Amino acid sequence: MPRSIWNGTITFALIAVPVKVHSAIEDETVHFHQVHAKDGAPIKHKRICSKEGKEVPYKEVAKGYEVRGSEYVLLSQDEINAAAGEQAHRIELDEFVCQTDVDPVFYDRTYYLGTREDGEDAYRLLHDALARTDRAGIGRWVFHNREYLVAIRSLDGVIALHTMRFADELVPAKDMDVPRPSRKPTDRELKMATALVDSLHDDFDPSAFRDTYRKRVLDLIASKAKGEEIDLPEPEEPEQTGDLIAALEASIKNGSSRSKRAKRPSSGNSQRKSSSKTGRKSAGKAKR
Amino acid sequence: MARALWSGSLSFGLVNVPVEIYTAVRDLDMHFRQLHEKDGAPIEVQRWCAKEDVEVPYEEITHSYELDDGGQVIVDDDELEAIEPRRTRTIEIEQFVDLADVDPIYFDHPYFLVPSSSDDGAARAYRLLVDVMTKTQRAALGRFVMRAKEYLAIVRVRDGVLTLTTMVFASAVRPTKDVDAATQKAHKATRKQLDAAVAVIEELSTDWDPSSYKDRYRARLKRVVDRKRKGQTIKAPEPPQEPEEAPDLMAALEQTLADMRGSGGDGKKSSDKRQRQEA
Repeated sequence: MPRSIWNGTITFALIAVPVKVHSAIEDETVHFHQVHAKDGAPIKHKRICSKEGKEVPYKEVAKGYEVRGSEYVLLSQDEINAAAGEQAHRIELDEFVCQTDVDPVFYDRTYYLGTREDGEDAYRLLHDALARTDRAGIGRWVFHNREYLVAIRSLDGVIALHTMRFADELVPAKDMDVPRPSRKPTDRELKMATALVDSLHDDFDPSAFRDTYRKRVLDLIASKAKGEEIDLPEPEEPEQTGDLIAALEASIKNGSSRSKRAKRPSSGNSQRKSSSKTGRKSAGKAKR
Repeated sequence: MARALWSGSLSFGLVNVPVEIYTAVRDLDMHFRQLHEKDGAPIEVQRWCAKEDVEVPYEEITHSYELDDGGQVIVDDDELEAIEPRRTRTIEIEQFVDLADVDPIYFDHPYFLVPSSSDDGAARAYRLLVDVMTKTQRAALGRFVMRAKEYLAIVRVRDGVLTLTTMVFASAVRPTKDVDAATQKAHKATRKQLDAAVAVIEELSTDWDPSSYKDRYRARLKRVVDRKRKGQTIKAPEPPQEPEEAPDLMAALEQTLADMRGSGGDGKKSSDKRQRQEA
């Protein structure tokens, strides 16, 4: 585990749990530096005052909030930092909610909490109590001069912390302009679509999906040294479905032939389940 | 409705629904511009060559990857473009999973998927997907390409609309076994401690109501800007002390419960509540 990015204490009621925070997600982006094509020298960014045309040292940089067309309120970094909130290195959990009630759309970034010296017992107690109640603790966390709403929950034997999106940051679904169909799906359509969903159903296995783009970038870097080149394939345009029933029928047929499944999806329920299981595996593999 | 970020089709077996992608989050942050403190003039960033000490026009800039041995490999835009994923305009559903099996840690950025055609066939196919995914409590996994990047995405129903969320690849999720989580037996709480902690959590429990939490940082920052505009001075608050650790967990738990109930550490009420919760 890389080093922690924050040390502090979680409190709930009179219990204090000293913790350190680690990022749970690794940045796997392949990063490049900007260089001058001519000589390969690094590019430096210079801050230039638009009035004087001269370089501005970092300590003379202030922040401007535009109140109307190019009229700014000038603030120093310290003044902006004053809005951060209490820098108490404390996350107070004053409410607990049912974990499954929180839609994942609210979760932003994920961190893991680790124990700090002499806090092991309290850490374990909080973890086990969260796991047993299936609840998440809600609190505020001041990190990098900004206050976040956070949820703390048990995850795979550790305590995880999520920064949260605020409700007003989410666009309501009702703002979406979804055209109403002339009629509801028929029972037959629903039945067939359900069969298709069943035939493509499998357990969630996150490790089955790989970041192929990242690999391509790394391969490109490796092959660059050898002077190799890669072709650019043509894009394709899919057609819109005309006949829904015919497409569903063909999809199910397609799915069953791919999975070498003899039974039709309308056969017995238990049979469908077990046969679609084998179907899923091979269908999934063929894709990746 | 904001502008569509992507348009193409959602394909589900041989069923294709023409769709557009809209963001599901809006940026409400206050944005600042860098100014020169002395004269309030905006600061412009210029790119200069470290070797020649001249400004470099944008088209003369390329990318360099630093190797472990300190050497560098130059990669230009054309080469990066050549390995961009095939620009298919399709979100192809590869698999359906039980929504409850996908931990929120994999969810990255949320979007809405909306039919891009007012054609009745598209509206019906979209509605069929909404209905069948609602009924089965399942979500679809698929890949698609947006802004020259290939994403893994999960499509599910939220408030009657298809939501597409880009996903974090499993390889980017750090293993939890590397975290110091005090899993040794010596740190395991006693039954009495755990019961008391559970009782405290139940006492502090409430329904999840996301709209009850306001972004206090955003509000404070707005106040800071408003005050500054009126010429008032801004002072950062003094940081309070980190709380001392409770020396005795059990005593702290008991004290908490006593405080909460205004009576002794009677665990009856909360254990009833807990049973309901577990049922």
